[in-house]
Amino acid sequence: MEAASIPSPVAHDDHHHGPPEANQSSRVNREVLGILLFIISEIMLFGAFFAAYFFIRVVSADQWPPGDGLPVAVAATNAAILLSSSVTMHWTDLSAKRGNQAGMRIGIVTTFLLGCTFLFIQINEYLHLGFQPKTSASASVFFGLTGLHGAHVVIGLLLLWMSAVRIFKGKVGPANYKGLEVPGIYWHFVDAMWIVVFTTIYVL
Amino acid sequence: MAAKIRQPGWYRAIAFTFLGIAVCLGLSTGLRAAFNVDPVYDGTAVLQISLLMVPIFFLGGIGCFDYWLRWASGRKVVDDHADHGAKSWRDYFKVNTDHKVIGIQYITVSFFFMFIGGLMAMLVRAELAAPGRQFIDPNTYNGAFSVHATLLIFLFVIPVFAGIANYVLPLMIGAPDMAFPRLNALSFWMLPLAGTMMLLSFLAPGGSFAAGWTAYAPLSVDAPIGQSFFTIAVQFAGASSIATALNFLVTIITMRAPGMTFFRMPLLVWANFSTSLLVVIATPFIAASQFMVLLDRALGFNFFSPAAGGDVLMYQHVFWFYSHPAVYIMMLPGFGIISEVLATRARKPVFGYRMMAFSLLAIVLLGFTVWAHHMFVSGMSNWIRIPMMVTTAIIAIPTGIKIFSWIATLWRGVLKIDTPMLWAVGFISMFTLGGISGVMLAMVPLDIHVSDTYFIVAHIHYVLFGGSLFTIFAGIYFWFPKMTGRMFNERLGKIHFWLTFIFFNVTFAPMHLIGVQGMPRRVSDYADQFATWNMIISISSFILGLSSLIFLYNMIVSWRSGPKAGDNPWNSLTIEWQVSSPPPIFNFDAIPSVVGGPYEYGVPGAVHAVLNKAEPVAVGAASDSHEGTD
Amino acid sequence: MVLALLAIIVVASLIGIAIVLVLPWFPEQGSNVAPEIDTFWDVLIVVSVPVFVAVTSMVLFSIWRWRQMPGEEGLDGPPIHGSTKLEVIWTAVPTIIIAALTAYAAILLVDIQSAPAKGTRVVQVTGIQFAWSFTTKTDAGVVKTNRLYLPVNEPVKFDVRSKDVIHDFWVPAFRLKVDAVPGITTSYSLTPTKLGTFDVVCAELCGLGHAYMRQTVTVLPRERYDAVMAGIADEAGVKPLPAGADSAALGKQVFVAGNPQTGATACGACHTMKAAGTNAVAGPNLDEMLAEDNAASIKEMIVKPNIEIVKGYSKGVMPANYASTLSKAQLDALVKYIDQSVHGKG
Repeated sequence: MEAASIPSPVAHDDHHHGPPEANQSSRVNREVLGILLFIISEIMLFGAFFAAYFFIRVVSADQWPPGDGLPVAVAATNAAILLSSSVTMHWTDLSAKRGNQAGMRIGIVTTFLLGCTFLFIQINEYLHLGFQPKTSASASVFFGLTGLHGAHVVIGLLLLWMSAVRIFKGKVGPANYKGLEVPGIYWHFVDAMWIVVFTTIYVL
Repeated sequence: MAAKIRQPGWYRAIAFTFLGIAVCLGLSTGLRAAFNVDPVYDGTAVLQISLLMVPIFFLGGIGCFDYWLRWASGRKVVDDHADHGAKSWRDYFKVNTDHKVIGIQYITVSFFFMFIGGLMAMLVRAELAAPGRQFIDPNTYNGAFSVHATLLIFLFVIPVFAGIANYVLPLMIGAPDMAFPRLNALSFWMLPLAGTMMLLSFLAPGGSFAAGWTAYAPLSVDAPIGQSFFTIAVQFAGASSIATALNFLVTIITMRAPGMTFFRMPLLVWANFSTSLLVVIATPFIAASQFMVLLDRALGFNFFSPAAGGDVLMYQHVFWFYSHPAVYIMMLPGFGIISEVLATRARKPVFGYRMMAFSLLAIVLLGFTVWAHHMFVSGMSNWIRIPMMVTTAIIAIPTGIKIFSWIATLWRGVLKIDTPMLWAVGFISMFTLGGISGVMLAMVPLDIHVSDTYFIVAHIHYVLFGGSLFTIFAGIYFWFPKMTGRMFNERLGKIHFWLTFIFFNVTFAPMHLIGVQGMPRRVSDYADQFATWNMIISISSFILGLSSLIFLYNMIVSWRSGPKAGDNPWNSLTIEWQVSSPPPIFNFDAIPSVVGGPYEYGVPGAVHAVLNKAEPVAVGAASDSHEGTD
Repeated sequence: MVLALLAIIVVASLIGIAIVLVLPWFPEQGSNVAPEIDTFWDVLIVVSVPVFVAVTSMVLFSIWRWRQMPGEEGLDGPPIHGSTKLEVIWTAVPTIIIAALTAYAAILLVDIQSAPAKGTRVVQVTGIQFAWSFTTKTDAGVVKTNRLYLPVNEPVKFDVRSKDVIHDFWVPAFRLKVDAVPGITTSYSLTPTKLGTFDVVCAELCGLGHAYMRQTVTVLPRERYDAVMAGIADEAGVKPLPAGADSAALGKQVFVAGNPQTGATACGACHTMKAAGTNAVAGPNLDEMLAEDNAASIKEMIVKPNIEIVKGYSKGVMPANYASTLSKAQLDALVKYIDQSVHGKG
C-alpha cells in the first residue's frame, strides 16, 4: 500500500524545510485558546457533579450537611490559601514577562507550596470528618465534589512542578513564557472552582 | 532488545503495560493493607485499578508523552519532524504527528471496530431469528447488543468522522497540520485502547458488560466486573473525543489560510466546528455519569442508592445531557460531508449556504435543551414533558432546512450519479424517514406507547445507519482518491450501495411495525406473534452484513492496485483537491490564499484558493528545527 | 414538468397514506386512551407520509431530469446561491405544521395525565427481577396476585414500584407505560374498556430475565371480578392460615402468593400450572416439566434450581434461596401441592 503522503514532484526537498508556517487567522494565541477550551470541558465535568449535588440535596432532600456538620472555617482558610496561591502565580507570570528570574523562582515555589498546603489540610479534614462516602448519598456528593476538586489540584500541582523545573533550568523568560502561562491559567481555574465548591458545599 | 525497549514503540509499550500491571498490583495491595481492608489481595480491585492506569502506561510506552516529558524536564527538544508523515506501512503503527497519517489510523481502526460491532449485530439477529433460545443464553445476548451499540457509537461513528475530518480539514483550510499534532496522536492512540478494553470484557468473570450502551443505574452498579470495562473504556474514548474536538476548534479558529473568512469556509469545516463545540461541552457529562457509577461500584458511594438518599433518575439526567448531543455529534459531520459531495456532484453551490451554517449552530444550541425526551416514561415529574416536547419539536426545523437546501442544491444541477453521490442522495431520503419517526417520538402521547420498543430501534437505525453510516460511506468513497492516490472500483461501489440500501430497508422498516404492535427492545426472546417479521428481519440483516464485505474488498484491493488518481478527479474547488493525491508530506509549499467562496461552480473562471509558490529558503534556516513553545 | 411532479407527489402520498394506515399497527384497543392515541397516530401518518414522499420524489425527479448526460462532463450547473423567499417558506411551513402537532399532542397529554377521581381503585404494581406482582385492596381484603385482574369500565390507578433495578410496566393494549424505579413510586391511570386477557410486558432492560417478564392482565365484568378477587383472597390467605390448617391449602397459598414476610417469590409469578390458575411464562410449564417427577425430585428442584436447567431457559433466574425463605412446613406443603396438581390428583 502506498504511504499517505509522498513528496510532491513540485515541492522542494522536504528534509530541508519543515511545514510552512500556518497563517494566524485570529488574534487569540493557540495554546491559550486550547487551555481555555479544556477548562470549559472541566467546568462541565464539575457541572455534572453539581447536578448530582442538586438532585441529592434538593430533589431527594437527603439530609444535608452529611454527618454532624462540615468544617466551614477550615475550608474557608483553605480558600484563602488557594486565593493567595493565585496571587503568587500571577506574580510569577509577571516576573516571567519582565525577566525577573528570582521572582519567578520564588513565585513558583510559593505557589506550589501553598497548593500542597491546601491538599494537606484537605486530606487531614477527610480523615476527621466523621462520615464516609458510604454513609449516605449526601456524603457521597461531598466526597465526590471535593474529591474531584482535589484530583484537579493534584493535576495542577504536577503542572506547577513541571513549570518549576523549567524555571530553575532557566528555560522561561520574556521571549518564551507560554509554557508557564498555560499552567498558570489552569491553576487559576482550580482556584476559582474551589470558591464555587466551597460556597455550594460548605456555605449554602 | 534493551535498545528497542528504550525507544518509543511497541516493544516498550508492551513492557510498560506489564510494568503498569505490576504497579497496579502493588498499589491495590498496598492501599488495602494500609486501610486494613480484607483480603489484601483482591483480583477485582486490582483489575479495577488496572483498567484505569494500565492504558496510561501503554500510552507512555508507545511514545505519546516523550516529547512533552522531555520539554517539561527542561531538556532541549528538537522539532525535526522525524515522526511526521508515513513512508511505509510501519509508520501507521507508531505515534505519528501527521494529521494525514492520524486520519488514516483513525479511519482504519474505526472500521475494524465497525466490523466487530456488526458481527455482534449478526449474533443478535441470529438469536432473534425465531422465538425461544437459539444459540446464546440471555446474559450473553444482553452483552452482545450492549457491546454492539457501544462499539459502533464510541469506536466507529464518532471517531471515523474525527478521522475523515482529521485528514481533510487542515488541507481544506490551507493549514500545514492541526494546531496540536502531538495531542492529535495521543487522541488517536486512546481509541484502540478503549475498544480493546470493551472487547476484553467478554473474558471477565460474569461476562461482558450487559446493561446496554446506556448502562442505567442501578443495573450497572450491581453488575459484575465486566461492567467496569465499559465504565472506564468510555472515559478513554471520551477523552480522545474531547482532545480531538479541542484541536479542531483551535485549528479552525486560528489557522485558516488568509482570505478564508468564516463564511468562505467549506461546510465540512462548519460542521466539524459545530460538532467540536458539542463534544467539548457535552462529553464531560458522560464521563461524570460513569465516574459516579464507578464510585458507587468500587468504593461504595451512594449516588444511585435510594436507601441511602441517592437518586436513581439522576443518572439518566446526567447521562442523557451528553447522550442527546452525542447523536448530533454523530450526525453533524455527516451533514458536512453531504454538502461537499452534493456541491461537487451537482456542480452547483450549496443552496442557502448561510442558513446551512446557522442551522448547524442552531442544532448545537437546541441540542442541549432536549435531553429528557429520552426520559418521557422514566418516572420523572410530569411537568418536564411538555417543555421537552416543544424543544424537541423545534429542533426539527433547522434539520428540515438542511434537507430542503440539499434538494435545492440538486435542483437544475448537472448530476453525476456515481458511488459517493448514490450514498448522498440515499442519505437524504433515509434520514428524512428517520427524522419523521423522530418527530413522531417527540410527541409524548405516542412516545409513551412506543418507548423501549422496536419502534425506537427502527428510528435509531434509520438515523444512524441510513443517516450517519450512509454519509460515512459517501465521505470514504469521495476522499478515497485523495487519501490513497488511487481510484476505487466504481462498479463494486454501486453494488455495495444497492445491496446495502435494499437490505437496510428490509431489515429496519418492519421494526417500526413490530414495535407499535408491542415488541419491547433489548429482549433475547419474544412472543410468538412477532416470529414471522423477526425471521424476515434476521435473514435480511445477514445479507446486509455480507454486503459490507464488498466494501472491504474494494477498499483493500483498490488501495493496493487501483488505477492511479489525479490531483482532482472530481474537479472540485476546495483546497484539498488542489494538491497532489496523496498530498505532499507538509501539505503545501506555502500557505494558499483564499480569494472566493468554496462552491463557485457555474461561474466561469471562479477560483476558491490560489496556491502560492514557496519563498526561497536557504538550507539550514530557522524553519528547519525550532524549539517547541517555551 | 414541475406540475407533473406535484401530481405524482400528491397521488403517491395518497396511496402511501392509504397503505400505511391500513397496516395492523396497534394491538387491540383495551383502554379509554387507546382510541385517542391511535387516532393521533393516524394524524401523524397523514402528515408524515407526504413529507417523505415529497422529499424522495424530488430527489428521484432531480436525478432523472438533470442527470449528467454523455458530453456534459465539463459542464457546471447554474450558480444559484439561494432564494430568501424559498427559505422563508420552508422554514415557516414546517414550523406551522410542527406547532399544530405539538399543540394537539399537548392537549392529548394533559388529558392522559389528568389526575384520577377520588376513590379510584389503586393497584400497586411491584417489579422484581423477573416478575410482576399486583396488590389490590378489595372488600375481601388486600389481595396479592401475579396475574392482574381488573374490572371493565372502571378507572384504575397503577402505583408502580421496584424492589431492585428499573423495570417498566406496560400493557400494549392499554397504550400507557411507566418505569418502575427503585426508591420512588411512579404511576398512571386509565380505564380498561374491553373484556379479555392482554399481555403485560416489561419495557426496560432489567437483567438476563428481562425478556421473560411477560405476564397477563385479565379484564372482567365487575361481578366476576369481585368473585375472582374474593376467591383469591380466600385461597391466597389474606388471613394467615391457622396452625394445622389443611396442607393443600397452605401449599396453594405458597404457590400463588409466596411468603411476603421473607420475600419468597410466588411460584405462580413465573410458572404456569393449571390447578393454580397461573399462566406466566418466565419459567417452564410445570404441568409439562414435572409430569415424570416424584415429590422428592420436585423438592430438590425448588431448593436447588440451578442443578438442572430445562432447555431454552437460563441459570440464575429462579431464586435459589427457597430453603431459607420457606419454612419446613411451607416447603413440604408446597411440594405436596405441586406433586398432586401436576399428576392430576388435587
